[in-house]
Amino acid sequence: MILRPTREDLKTIGWGVGRVIFGVGLLMTVPLVTSLICREWNVALDFAIGIFACLSFWLSMEILCPVKRDLTWFQGLVIASGGWLVAMVFGAIPHWLSGHFRSFLDACFDLMSGYTTTGLFLLQDLDHLSHGMNMWRHLLTYAGGQGIIVVTLTFLFAGTSGALRIYVAEGKEEKLLPNVIRTARAIWMISLTYLAVGTVFLWAALLKEGMPVGRGFLHALWLFMGAWSTGGFAPQSLNLLYYHSFLVELITLVIFVIGSFNFALHYAVWTGNRREIYRNVEVRSFVTTLLLGTFLLTLGMARQGVFGDLTMFFRKGFYNIVSGHTTTGNSTIYSVSFYKDLGFLGLFSVIMVMAVGASACSTGGGFKGLRMGIIFRSMRQEIRRILSPESAVVREKIHHIRDIWIDDAMVRAAMFIVLSYVVIYFAGGILGVAYGYPPHVAFFDSVSAGSNTGLSAGLTSPLMPTAMKVFYIFAMWAGRLEFVSILALVGFAGVLVKGRRAKHA
Amino acid sequence: MMGGQGRKVCKGSGDRSAYVLLCLLLSIACLLFFPVPALAGSVEEGGLSGIVRISDLVENMEEYDGKTVSVEGEVVGDVMIRGEGAWITVNDDPYAERSLEEGGEFAGVSNIGIGVWVDPDMAREIRHTGDYREKGDKVRVSGVFHRACRDHGGETDIHALSLQVLKRGYTFDRPFDWGKLAVALVLLVSTALLWRAREKVRRGRRKRAAW
Repeated sequence: MILRPTREDLKTIGWGVGRVIFGVGLLMTVPLVTSLICREWNVALDFAIGIFACLSFWLSMEILCPVKRDLTWFQGLVIASGGWLVAMVFGAIPHWLSGHFRSFLDACFDLMSGYTTTGLFLLQDLDHLSHGMNMWRHLLTYAGGQGIIVVTLTFLFAGTSGALRIYVAEGKEEKLLPNVIRTARAIWMISLTYLAVGTVFLWAALLKEGMPVGRGFLHALWLFMGAWSTGGFAPQSLNLLYYHSFLVELITLVIFVIGSFNFALHYAVWTGNRREIYRNVEVRSFVTTLLLGTFLLTLGMARQGVFGDLTMFFRKGFYNIVSGHTTTGNSTIYSVSFYKDLGFLGLFSVIMVMAVGASACSTGGGFKGLRMGIIFRSMRQEIRRILSPESAVVREKIHHIRDIWIDDAMVRAAMFIVLSYVVIYFAGGILGVAYGYPPHVAFFDSVSAGSNTGLSAGLTSPLMPTAMKVFYIFAMWAGRLEFVSILALVGFAGVLVKGRRAKHA
Repeated sequence: MMGGQGRKVCKGSGDRSAYVLLCLLLSIACLLFFPVPALAGSVEEGGLSGIVRISDLVENMEEYDGKTVSVEGEVVGDVMIRGEGAWITVNDDPYAERSLEEGGEFAGVSNIGIGVWVDPDMAREIRHTGDYREKGDKVRVSGVFHRACRDHGGETDIHALSLQVLKRGYTFDRPFDWGKLAVALVLLVSTALLWRAREKVRRGRRKRAAW
């Protein structure tokens, strides 16, 4: 028997979502200050409206939804998934007011793309966008990389055990430290340290490449945010192609590779356990699939013969495949080049690595290296079991911070998530084909959206059908939260309608 | 039950060498199939009369590769001087005529531009580059289009032979949006009222709890 959520459940969820929206409002103060410094008065008003709207919602929830008890797992899941949706709507207010979107849906699309570190966008006329809006686009992808819930946890939840529940519900299971609030703060500490170092390196590179000091700094900051969060946003429409710089490409490549690694791995290395880099199953999985993808890409590029030397191969081939694998989406070629210059095998290899994606508990998306490692080892276990004597007990383990023995429940959970991704990828691809897009383009963009990558073969545009925009928003959201929270939200909606009312004692 | 008595336990952890071997083999395979220039299509030199749209250039790169083309559009972003040349970006999308910030209409597309490699003298001709505040200079660039430029690490670019400023750009004024200010003020008042209400509710709750 499934019970209908009580009024207390609804109040707790409302209270939690209100806190998440308060976090969004706090984030908007950064672009507000940026636009004031740059004397972009109308843009500053857009953010002021956004901030007051967030504060009004938060205060309304605080008044209407007082909470007495800590969160349950179910409430945590619903807050995480529902919080992302409401955060998308409130975050889209400055986008919509900027006048660069044809509809509010387009603005929501870009918001979800930013939060989920996807990088696809429907914003029009990016090259004339204000500094304040560019700051907001990049900041929300940077914050989204850590997780909106992590943002909220860091500042707005005071050490409750319920905090752990919404933290896990956001698709992060790693606890770097015993306390989840301290874990969230550790994630921020890691990210902010890299932000400072990475921005300085990129700024120096951009100055060397001829950019002015002020714009160079802003571009460095935004490029870092886009690369580290594996979001792939850039302040110019040509993305990395705009800079024509090997050095900038090299630095961003290093940043998004580091950003795609598990925060637990970062923390292990930070605390002196450097050997973890070589032993970790996700690093091994990443290197293996990257090499496999690079091999296929090489075949595709050799067949096309457009890029003929090592530098070209690195900048136009390898860079994009690493960008795809880390689910970043920074690109050094035009959309059409994915199938015209890299060839079918090259295109296929990028789709493959995008589908696999980055590490669990990182800023990246996709199946995740950890699950690939678990599935690969379980397959090997089965083969070894067949080849071994009947009496033998065959077991496999993976190394992820510590040695972990693989069991059936672990494999089942990994398979469930991977299968869910495959369904999303195929559904998006088939929808695209149904709307008349070429299959390779439809599947490329669908995998890109579902894995939160952001590379595009040309399908994603403001003119794409509304149904596809809605599906891509769903795919980005579901892919980022890894489905469980989404199923909880669907279940919540179901029991709200059909569940049996609980009897009061 | 895992590993009962008298059973042989096989662990799958001592596989570092197999992993390294796999990585090595894949790396060698990449090198073996590395794209060779001999496979590259030959570059045909030649000229094309008339203005070519950048979207047309990008969609039909193989057709225009190595040919002299002319494009017209707005210079946007930065002029990045680098050694004996400079990079500029030329856009010829509908926003190059009138950007959204200047009151242009939605065209349903993103910007469409291309990197142009110009010599420093040409770069000095450019005074305005398009951004939030500025309308960039409208230029006509004639030069050699490269699908994958050998001088610039495979960039898709145009090496300018000539650059002509057709229309000087300018800084445009925008009116202050009083409507937005009014909305912001209304929301500010509502936030203040809600804050007061919340404090009142909290005080009431604290009192009830004390009783």
